[in-house]
Amino acid sequence: MDGFEKELSESLTRRPAPPGLKGRILAERARRAAAKQNDRHVMWMRLAASVAIAAVLAGAAGWQWQRVEERRRGEEARQQVMTALGITAKALDKVQKRLQANDGKEE
Amino acid sequence: MANAWQPDFEQLVEEHQSMVFSLALRMTGDRGLAEEVAQDAFLELDKNLRNIESPEHALFWLRCVTMSRATDALRRRRVRGMDLWVEIEERHGLPTENAGAGSRLGSKLEALLTTLPEAQRAAILLRYQEELTPEEIAKALDAPLATVKSHLQRGLKLLRAKAESHLKEFVRGG
Repeated sequence: MDGFEKELSESLTRRPAPPGLKGRILAERARRAAAKQNDRHVMWMRLAASVAIAAVLAGAAGWQWQRVEERRRGEEARQQVMTALGITAKALDKVQKRLQANDGKEE
Repeated sequence: MANAWQPDFEQLVEEHQSMVFSLALRMTGDRGLAEEVAQDAFLELDKNLRNIESPEHALFWLRCVTMSRATDALRRRRVRGMDLWVEIEERHGLPTENAGAGSRLGSKLEALLTTLPEAQRAAILLRYQEELTPEEIAKALDAPLATVKSHLQRGLKLLRAKAESHLKEFVRGG
């Protein structure tokens, strides 16, 4: 190292940090930590709200599906009753016709 | 006893704030910007504190991040070293007062340093402020050793030439 380099080395000794730099760094760190905590809190709140909304929607959809299914079953049962009534009416018709035919022979 | 060292952020700030601030100031030539860079570097350290394995690692890490942040800040602002430096010296009264010819030359050298190209300035700063070897500088700047050596040689040559020219002016000026 020659004289110039020594001079350079001496002129480049570390300077003291400005007063308050450490305090500002620690304050910013604390602010960011609080913001992060807050962000996390908000995220959990959003997640909880999303889960609640999803549950309500699922419940409503289930209830609606149940209503539709009940209506479909009721309709099916009505159709079966109507078919049964139709068959019974035809059978009664036949019986009546036979009775009328027997009555005509006896007379 | 692997990783027995427990980093204490406040203590690290206390220990290294002068080093970080000096590097940032001499890289950027702007006191306000240097404070921002120093703050960023320490907050980045805080984020990565879990990965820091030893006090030496913390020091190395801080040097790397400070140099990289200072370069980024410079590129963003496109500061022109000498003019700004002179402005800062005047505004903030950095130690140019009560000086003999020797220390005046010293502070002149410090100011002249900011007129060097960024890469040369970074290499010279790490060599003469932090007293790192070229190999350590290459690691810190993530650059090939030959490039670092070349930056050191060229930077020193340029600085010497500028200093000679300024010294002549100083002697002529009386």
